[in-house]
Amino acid sequence: MPTSLQDPLRNGDPLAWEAFVRAYQGRVYGLAYHYTTQAEDARDLTQDVFVRIYQNLAMLPGEEGRLPWILRITRNACIDHLRRRKARPPLWDGPAEELFHLRSPELNPEEAHLEQVRAARVHQALQELTYLNREILLLKEIQGLKVEAIAEILEVPVGTVKSRSNRARLELAQKLTAIGMGA
Amino acid sequence: MHDAPLNPYLPDPPVALDLTRAILARTSGSPCLRVQDLACHFVDGELEATQERLVRGHLDHCEDCAHLMKALALATTLLPRMAEADPGPWFTARVMRATVHATRRSHEWRATWMQLLHRPRIALEAAYLGTAVSLLGLSLPMPESLPAPRALVRTLSPEPLLVPLKAPAQRMLGQLVAAEKRTVASVQRGLKLDGAAAEGATSAGWWQRGSVRVRGWLRGLKGMSEEKAPTPANP
Repeated sequence: MPTSLQDPLRNGDPLAWEAFVRAYQGRVYGLAYHYTTQAEDARDLTQDVFVRIYQNLAMLPGEEGRLPWILRITRNACIDHLRRRKARPPLWDGPAEELFHLRSPELNPEEAHLEQVRAARVHQALQELTYLNREILLLKEIQGLKVEAIAEILEVPVGTVKSRSNRARLELAQKLTAIGMGA
Repeated sequence: MHDAPLNPYLPDPPVALDLTRAILARTSGSPCLRVQDLACHFVDGELEATQERLVRGHLDHCEDCAHLMKALALATTLLPRMAEADPGPWFTARVMRATVHATRRSHEWRATWMQLLHRPRIALEAAYLGTAVSLLGLSLPMPESLPAPRALVRTLSPEPLLVPLKAPAQRMLGQLVAAEKRTVASVQRGLKLDGAAAEGATSAGWWQRGSVRVRGWLRGLKGMSEEKAPTPANP
């Protein structure tokens, strides 16, 4: 059997591609939202990321390296977007959305709402961290990447990621305490 | 003065928190910094039993550290749940439109174009189209602002145009201009008409004179053929 037929996704099968989009859109959108803090920008960026992936399906890594590869593309797209926005700020910058729409189907509506409120506060506290600490938290604690993958994406030594990781968590906890979440 | 004997069963007098802090400040320093160092390991359950017990003992008495630890535990549970967010119900369809459907449309256009190109009559059609375009271009009237061909050739002296060009291009353009001059001269020689000055002649005048000349040649040829034809014998 040819290799191209073994992987329908690389072969351009629309059904496989749809399944792929459904599997990863939450991750990509979640990361883009953390970077941009604007839901509509995050949606546009997510779409751009998937278009880029679709155009480079031949380069799609195997199951293990897939998530870091996608998150790296997302991060690069977000950084480009933030640079453009810094250079040419939009005429009207909408307010950040209050709630972070998590995917939590197992919770009942009341718990889900409480969780969203907490997540929104954590998201707000994340924005106050230093840039590197925030990126390390986004990739390690939120996206669950390994230290080596994070070091490769951020182009910093592995030791830096390790040492910064706990410090970033503590910094976040201090910010949360300051807004009254630990009481 | 009568001193009452101390009752050994009485509880110890309460110790103020400030006293503990004062003692620690004068001895080992604030333990809160040490707790902060161990906080992440404590929340992750990576501490040894003794250290864990010591940290718990500190948390029982230090409200600030207890709050910090609670916030850290909350963040630790909440952060992994923030990995995925819901972009909305129609988002997948939007991505599919931007990827598969858009690519399919462009593929369809490309396929149609290639199908058109690979028809057997494409060469004939291309030639026909090219001829039509050429004829259309040639028959369009030239704007009056443009100089007549001869004057145009005169204005195309190579010196001013060739300043920025290199030597081979200079040679080539010089040859082109010379060839154009020769062509114009030969056309003028061929169209020597009575009293008509070739200078400033328009292209329409050339055609008229050319056609008169050709008609004259044809008439002359016809006359010659009539003279050479054998005359029928008189009965």
